[in-house]
Amino acid sequence: MKLRKIVTFVEDLHREGGRPVDPIARVAVVLAVIENPWAGQGFVADLAPLIDEVAPQLGELLAPRVAAALERPIEAYGKGAIVGLDGEIEHGSALIHTLKFGDHFRKVAAASTLLPAVEKRAPAGTVFDIPLKHITDATIRSHHQSVEVRVPDAPRADEIVIGLAAAAQGRPLARLAPLSTEQ
Amino acid sequence: MIRKLYTVAEDIVTELGAPVDHLTRRVAAAAVIDNPWAGLGRVDELAEEAARIAPALARELAARLRGLLGGVDEVEAFGKAAIVGLGGELEHGAALIHTPYFGNVLRELVDGSSIIVFSDDRGPAGNPLTVPIWHKTAAATRSHYQTIQLRIPDAPRDDELVVVAAAASGPRPNARIGDRTTDPAVRLEQLL
Repeated sequence: MKLRKIVTFVEDLHREGGRPVDPIARVAVVLAVIENPWAGQGFVADLAPLIDEVAPQLGELLAPRVAAALERPIEAYGKGAIVGLDGEIEHGSALIHTLKFGDHFRKVAAASTLLPAVEKRAPAGTVFDIPLKHITDATIRSHHQSVEVRVPDAPRADEIVIGLAAAAQGRPLARLAPLSTEQ
Repeated sequence: MIRKLYTVAEDIVTELGAPVDHLTRRVAAAAVIDNPWAGLGRVDELAEEAARIAPALARELAARLRGLLGGVDEVEAFGKAAIVGLGGELEHGAALIHTPYFGNVLRELVDGSSIIVFSDDRGPAGNPLTVPIWHKTAAATRSHYQTIQLRIPDAPRDDELVVVAAAASGPRPNARIGDRTTDPAVRLEQLL
């Protein structure tokens, strides 16, 4: 894996709708900017060999970092892959949509659900939103949320930005009725 | 007072495909607050509110910088900034970052002695701002001239201010442009 840089964001929300948020709501995101492992190779039919090599490295790199940035137990989580303009979205999906990547985050978070994700192809500086859902029950509405991030100089055309997001709680001041009340 | 605290940290590992010579961490910490002068029209006396608000902001942001870099000794360079929401004056941001109530407190809390380099702007929520950083005790140290970009998606609202402190743990990765001691004497007449 050719890693260029790591960018870490932490957001603490103290107030919402004019009211205090107690405890303060924290969301953390860690992004790795890497060279697209399939860059310059034309169409590659079998992505498995480089998935096996790179996806675990990304999981090992990002999962502990996002947990450390959050500094609290993870209640909701999500992931993302932003592919530079010369790559395929399939390249980003390859790196984040196997257990070889996701299980690192599940282990760190003591999680069991599928990780919600964003995948897109875009120029450097693109704004993207990583969706998050509850780590053990994706139907828990209070934890449906998303976090917006942007890296000014990534991804280059031959790069991919891979990210993990973690929240220590659901939405601040969440007050939707649970799914069960409508069933 | 604070609606949101936002931090960003950037760790550059390689540049042009090769490992960098110095693993510098750049960080920025930002507080989104209500503009204390919002809706008041022109206010001539800004010092009172600055004295009330700015020291606490400086303390909070300095603590974040130290935390993100792993201690005060890891803070080698620093900077500051303000983004004023569209309903305010640039002077409102200046009142909070350019008076001793902010700068002196921040400088003392990170063991600095330099003037703190800055940027400021007025803009909508999501306005990116590039924050300059230079050496905390020797501002002319060229290897430490660098910046970090900050962008908060939902701030500042029109009646808010974003107050920023930034820092770096070392020089630019692969800094190699010399300094005043190695510069040749360059004069305009030689270049014509």
